[in-house]
Amino acid sequence: MGVELFPRPHNLKSFTTSRSALNRTRILLRKIAWALFTILFVIVLNFFIFRVLPGDPARAGIRDPRLKAEAIEMLRVRFGLDKPVINCFESLNPVKLGSCNVNPLDTQFFIYVRNLLQGELGISYHTNRPVAEVLGERLWNTILLIGAGQILSIFIGVVFGVFAAWKARTSIDRAAVISSLVAWSLPTFWLGIILLFWGSKFGLPLAGKATPGASTYPLLQQWGDIARHMFLPTLTYTIIFMAEYTLIMRSSLMDVLSEDYILTAKAKGLSTFQILKDHALKNAMLPLVTVIAINLGFTVGGAVQIESVFSWPGLGLAIFEAVARRDFPILQGAFLLLAISVIFANLLADLTYTYLDPRVQTE
Amino acid sequence: MTSALLQVTDLQTRFHTPEGIVHAVNGISFHINEGETVAIVGESGCGKSVSMMSLLKLIPTPPGEISSGTAIYRGTDLLQKSEREMEDIRGKDIAMIFQDPMTSLNPVLTLGRQLTESMREHLGFTKEQAEERAVQMLEQVGIPDARRRINEYPHQFSGGMRQRVMIAMALSCAPSLLIADEPTTALDVTIQAQIVELVARIRESLHMAIIWITHDLGVVAGMADRVIVMYAGFIVEEADVNDLYDSPGHPYTLALLAALPRIDRRRDHHLKSIAGSPPNLLVAPHGCPFAPRCEFVIEKCRQENPPLIQIEKNHSSACWVDVKTGAPR
Amino acid sequence: MQSSTKITEPKNQWTARLLEFWRVFNKNRMGVIGLGMIGTLVIIAIFAPLIAPYDSSSTESAQIGDIYNPPSAAHLLGTDDAGQDILSNFIFGTRVSLIVGTFAAFISIIIGGTLGLIAGFNGGRTDNLIMRFTDIMLVIPDLPLIVVLVALTKPSLLNIIIVVGLLGWTTTARVVRSQTLAVKSRKFVLRARGIGAGNRHIISHHILPLVMPILVVQAVLVVSNAVLTESTLAFLGLGDPSALSWGQMLNYAFGRGAMSIGAWWALAVPGIGIVWVVLGLTLLGQGLEQVLNPRLETHHLTPGRPVVQNERDEFGSGKSADEKSGNILLDVQNLSVNYVADGRPPARAVENVSFTLKEGELMGLVGESGCGKTTLMLSLLRLLPSAGQIVNGKVFFKEKDLTALNEEELNIVRWSGISIIFQGAMNALNPVRTVGDQISEAIIRHLPDFPRDKRLDERVIELLDLVGIASDQKENFPHQYSGGMRQRAMIAMALACNPQVVIADEPTTALDVMIQAQILELLDDLRKKLGLAIIFVTHDLGVVAEICDKVLVMYGGVTAEYADVDTVYNEPRHPYTQELIKAFPDLTKPKKKLTSIPGYPPRLDALPAGCRFAPRCPAVFDRCHIEQPPLHKLGDMHFASCHLVEGSK
Repeated sequence: MGVELFPRPHNLKSFTTSRSALNRTRILLRKIAWALFTILFVIVLNFFIFRVLPGDPARAGIRDPRLKAEAIEMLRVRFGLDKPVINCFESLNPVKLGSCNVNPLDTQFFIYVRNLLQGELGISYHTNRPVAEVLGERLWNTILLIGAGQILSIFIGVVFGVFAAWKARTSIDRAAVISSLVAWSLPTFWLGIILLFWGSKFGLPLAGKATPGASTYPLLQQWGDIARHMFLPTLTYTIIFMAEYTLIMRSSLMDVLSEDYILTAKAKGLSTFQILKDHALKNAMLPLVTVIAINLGFTVGGAVQIESVFSWPGLGLAIFEAVARRDFPILQGAFLLLAISVIFANLLADLTYTYLDPRVQTE
Repeated sequence: MTSALLQVTDLQTRFHTPEGIVHAVNGISFHINEGETVAIVGESGCGKSVSMMSLLKLIPTPPGEISSGTAIYRGTDLLQKSEREMEDIRGKDIAMIFQDPMTSLNPVLTLGRQLTESMREHLGFTKEQAEERAVQMLEQVGIPDARRRINEYPHQFSGGMRQRVMIAMALSCAPSLLIADEPTTALDVTIQAQIVELVARIRESLHMAIIWITHDLGVVAGMADRVIVMYAGFIVEEADVNDLYDSPGHPYTLALLAALPRIDRRRDHHLKSIAGSPPNLLVAPHGCPFAPRCEFVIEKCRQENPPLIQIEKNHSSACWVDVKTGAPR
Repeated sequence: MQSSTKITEPKNQWTARLLEFWRVFNKNRMGVIGLGMIGTLVIIAIFAPLIAPYDSSSTESAQIGDIYNPPSAAHLLGTDDAGQDILSNFIFGTRVSLIVGTFAAFISIIIGGTLGLIAGFNGGRTDNLIMRFTDIMLVIPDLPLIVVLVALTKPSLLNIIIVVGLLGWTTTARVVRSQTLAVKSRKFVLRARGIGAGNRHIISHHILPLVMPILVVQAVLVVSNAVLTESTLAFLGLGDPSALSWGQMLNYAFGRGAMSIGAWWALAVPGIGIVWVVLGLTLLGQGLEQVLNPRLETHHLTPGRPVVQNERDEFGSGKSADEKSGNILLDVQNLSVNYVADGRPPARAVENVSFTLKEGELMGLVGESGCGKTTLMLSLLRLLPSAGQIVNGKVFFKEKDLTALNEEELNIVRWSGISIIFQGAMNALNPVRTVGDQISEAIIRHLPDFPRDKRLDERVIELLDLVGIASDQKENFPHQYSGGMRQRAMIAMALACNPQVVIADEPTTALDVMIQAQILELLDDLRKKLGLAIIFVTHDLGVVAEICDKVLVMYGGVTAEYADVDTVYNEPRHPYTQELIKAFPDLTKPKKKLTSIPGYPPRLDALPAGCRFAPRCPAVFDRCHIEQPPLHKLGDMHFASCHLVEGSK
């Protein structure tokens, strides 16, 4: 109103139509580049955590106290733990980096990166199988679980949230809000335990992804079997996360419904349903997409807990087991895979948002 | 012959935005004398606010940049001063009040706190001294029951009262120059009249110079000595107030005056408006900025931007054409 | 003139503020319940040794047979896998959870708050750097990272506190940063700079007080998060074996066969404890949020209040029987509108206002902010906010009483019979839909037979052309239009269904005088071309003089004067009208001093008895304070509500 501190060009037309396409591509490229950088950061972080923190992995991973010193040394060489971490890091004096006569490519870090690029994630201390192999099977199980859970919780959360906002301050709204707050306060693993307890009374499977021997069943029956196993874990996941989406959708829609253009729509004689459909929903979904994106990191934590309780063979369970057995390569590999998956999913959500919001194009 | 209190020469301010460089102020020069009231008139985006904020170096830099010019105030150039030195001047020598009093006051601090900030900072008053003076100032600007109200919060005051409080704040250190940036635009017409009356009364007693920024030529008429008209970052006309209304010298001023709804001209007249809108500030100026909309335009206007030419005593206009006759000068 | 009373001591100010906050907080049920829940736990934690029936980790009288005993008199909540009393362990576990939660949260808040403040305040490169880092930390899955870190170090309570604390700051940083940014760009910071305040002063005096409430709410949420995380870590086997937290209890129970034995008490009790803490904190956080950042819990689609008819017609109808009968389109009779507030008397925003509008007539509705003009206009089409209610009167549009229609019937009249151009078109158009789309939506809604092919597009282009907007702008979004263009687009949209009446609510208030002139010219033109009747709401008398046929002057919710425009300007009879005209700058006499009306408009929920203008009226006398003046008829088309004009013609 009145004073414009930072004057904007009045005639925007010629600049935006030609620039909007250019801008959008630029934005896309920038986001992809950023995602790659984040992955790099995670790789470096991942590496250093495991090498730098106290608790020599070799000693921790090789717990048998009967091992003699030479055996320990042999194992260290086998796992490449005798090489310098990176340049002269051992001396902890970065200044000396230059004057070190260590082949930088022969350091633990670069070996690690080189292996990564070849899809080589190390060897499990516990089973001696390549980590990549072990986790490869599990990655898809986790994605299946999280995928199903997210889709259900988003869908249900949006529906509940819309209803709650629409009928604001009525008993429907109050019920939705209270139940969402309670659901949100439940520890994921505990809800899993309770559901497992009840589920066992109804004959639902207690653990795992499939009944032993199910691979011999016909395909449809196999899927049915997996679905029965997936039921409780997915239910747990959905209850926890739909609560948050309900609350977010409700508050976002309430904000939108208070905007002036909704009054305009009402003045135009549009029915409530029409207004919700054509004016409010899209605007209210945008913040939700952002929240979903931000939340992805947290949902993985939920997956870890659920998989542990239900013994669902995913990356989360791998972490749980690796912690118990101090199997550090598995732990490191699982963490890396999870982080990279989340970064990708986050990028996708971000790109979706860019496409949905017309205002973003011209910024 | 008093030398000017403030002499601004060739002030240029630009903004670096993702879409390009916005040429907000394109080389303006003016002066103001002690105790004088100068009105700066123009539409939004013409650079009037930006130029005044540049003087007090309140423009964020990035993305803003004062690319040239001097502003000599009592012998020193404001634009060359450091931030610390400017902090000393702001509020004490030169004060500024802004348009919307609702947002200019911190909602969680009492009036007393905000009123006394300046005095304690610049004049070294103790809290008690500052509060005493604050009460006096509130009484001076016509806030009843000041002693009690000084502990209230902004939302407990109406718009007009808040603006009075802003004025009291600005005057608390008795500055020699007050810059008022559209102080009455957000207020009702009756409250507007009150504020104008108040400022007029106060400037008499303090012998204060005022720069009054507005887009409303009607308000200016009753209280300014001189008027400066700006368009697209340039000064297009400068005159004593009566001369401006009696014989405007620039086509833009003519248009502004014609567009004003007036009580005396009933509905027999058509409101005259000019088509189009102000130019795009992203494009570096070339030729007269008003040329695309001007009814007196000649070829020269599009080639060369006319400088401010004196057309009468104390009256200059930046136009190649004499609007009274329609012939080129 | 020195008064002897001292200015209130600032210490009293703070206590007064806290008391005020407490009073408001108490009304918030959620917050109070949450506070109570946490309070009980804190008390339990403090008095644990006194309350618990058995010593912590006591193996007193524990024998093999005591494992997983169901609840009994000796053990109210049963025993666990080691034969220990669950109730006692639960009580002592309160301490662990609360301590870990609080200390870890403390670390997170300090880090997050500082980073957010620095990023928001400094902006530029610093902000970018900090935010990038925060984004990375947000994307990285937190629980796995925490698990990794704790697994690699010794799982002790201190380590857990540090790790959870070091990784829990991301949301806080973002929230604090955005609040700092918002506050930094507020005008009062600019004003503070304008009086010479330095950075430190601005941060401590202006920014922090406004960031603190947000931070407090965040703190509560961070604590609940920390408690959850600690329980999860303990459950996953990374808890401190020497500190029996609830998560640890669950870890043992789950891992040691509670399920197969059916020892539900060992599984339920610790979990309920965690839920209690987290729920309590969440409710407390929500409650605080609602108190500190109150939001309206209603919106435009909340169902409106029913129309009430009080049949009070003491004040006379503004209808003039011998008004030249033309085509009267709109006939408003004794309309009264109240705003209902909980526990307080309603605000009488509009009281007994009447007017008529004929085809092709342009009526100006004049008054100060808060005089009820917008309320009056919104009530015609029943678009009032949920607190608004029509309590008297009728609105006849072409012989049909709009106040008696239901929502469906009203929807037919809206826009196609009467349309509105809202004040401040900034946000009156949906930002994510094109302008052309929003215009054609109106056409489709009311003219269902209109062909949906390119003729629809042509019609939209025709409308845009009518208001001077180029046809290629049809596919653009509102934010790509300038302010004046948006307003014109609103006008085009308002005309889309060929209404008979258009209400223009302060359409030019926020616009420059040149653009205002353009729009006024446009409206006048359209009126002549299309035979529209227009109600033009404004507080600018000059505009009214230029284009209106007649004027309704409102003050404090009532009609002050209602007459044709010449009468209003040449022979105003109501003192308020007279003062208004005197207060308006007149360019024919530039040096004329503006006279102002002292005082301020009345608050509609605390109206004075008698005439509402009495406190400010230069011609006031005794009767004015006691009796509200009715609307007196002074001529064919001249009404004024003032005691002074009684009996005159």
